[in-house]
Amino acid sequence: MTPCPCGSGQDLDDCCGAMIAGAPAPTAEALMRARYSAFALGQIDYLADTLAPEARGDFDPIEAGSTASDAVWQGLEVRAVTDGGIDDETGSVEFVARFRLRGEPRVHHELARFRREHGRWVCAGGDMNPKGPPRQVVKVGRNEPCPCGSGKKYKKCCGA
Amino acid sequence: MERRFHCTACGKCCFGWLPLSLDDAIANAGRFPLAMIWTTLRQGAKAFALTAELGTTVELRNHKRIAVQIAPTAYIPPEFPCPALATDGLCGIHADRPARCRTMPFSPYREEGDQADLLVPKPGWLCDTTAAAPVVYRDKKIVFREDFDRERRALERQAIPLRAYADRLVTNPEVAAAVEKAAKKSRGGYVVLNFSAILPRLRQVDAAAFSRRQLPVLIEFAERTAGVAGLADYHRYYRDNAAGMAQFLERRG
Repeated sequence: MTPCPCGSGQDLDDCCGAMIAGAPAPTAEALMRARYSAFALGQIDYLADTLAPEARGDFDPIEAGSTASDAVWQGLEVRAVTDGGIDDETGSVEFVARFRLRGEPRVHHELARFRREHGRWVCAGGDMNPKGPPRQVVKVGRNEPCPCGSGKKYKKCCGA
Repeated sequence: MERRFHCTACGKCCFGWLPLSLDDAIANAGRFPLAMIWTTLRQGAKAFALTAELGTTVELRNHKRIAVQIAPTAYIPPEFPCPALATDGLCGIHADRPARCRTMPFSPYREEGDQADLLVPKPGWLCDTTAAAPVVYRDKKIVFREDFDRERRALERQAIPLRAYADRLVTNPEVAAAVEKAAKKSRGGYVVLNFSAILPRLRQVDAAAFSRRQLPVLIEFAERTAGVAGLADYHRYYRDNAAGMAQFLERRG
């Protein structure tokens, strides 16, 4: 058994290998994982073939090939998936791929966008190092009811 | 004010980096090892507006906006002669030489009124600037201007694909960090990036045909720079790009 590079714990042939060989990816996340595995396996043509037309101008197969062959892949972490399911037409996947390139540790953190093109999922680009939504801090006034739900004033309860 | 200049074909300027138009770069892929060189320019610099127009602008983390010149370049170490320089010291491709060589010593990357210092020969150059040489620059206007105008027009034509390429690439955090670092240099710094990243945007260029011409040049320069002190960055660039191109051609069969 060859463990799949995507880290699913499955055999390569039962996981990303089938998609790299031509099977359609059922979900956006499946395509994202297959693209990671294709990179790890040096299958650069798969990376090019699963790009949306508008994203092809951003893809340099020459550099991708040399990066793929010089990188030691250390794992994929899928952080968040939005839509991109079996019945969806679009979706996005936030992931972190870790690798060493010519000895240097690298982290590729991307929020990748996916959509269906003629029924098949394709990658339509993405944003590197995406920022989360801005944090909102609500200030509680001293005389307002305490947010802990005690019914007391904040200043008599948690804010004391 | 009048400035005189006559090229004596001393060949002293035929060394090191040579910025090229995209068309000249592609046409000379079998001759020059190509790189894309990004040069930062701070706000207030004379060529800021022109550089922003022909290249792009980037907002730094400190919210200052810098201009970046994006130049396809024959990426040759400064002490190496141009590969087209023949053993007799003359240009081997003079009739077909790139626009950059034709316009020398003027530079269309700068405003027409800001060219005077380019007419002062650099140390060791044998340019003729005596009374015997013709007047080439008068009242901040170039006298024989065909080559300058032609090269400037080529730079204007390529600005759209170059900006699309650069604005996308600068979203890569590693490229952005390199630009930040370059911008910290007081006189502007540079970043050397792979030439191949522009190819997918050039519909009319066949990447495989380009690579077949460029690969032997990269291999030759990788060999010439192997183990040479001070040229490790050049060697790494040639080697890594040659490896990527060799693989790319192998995949294409």
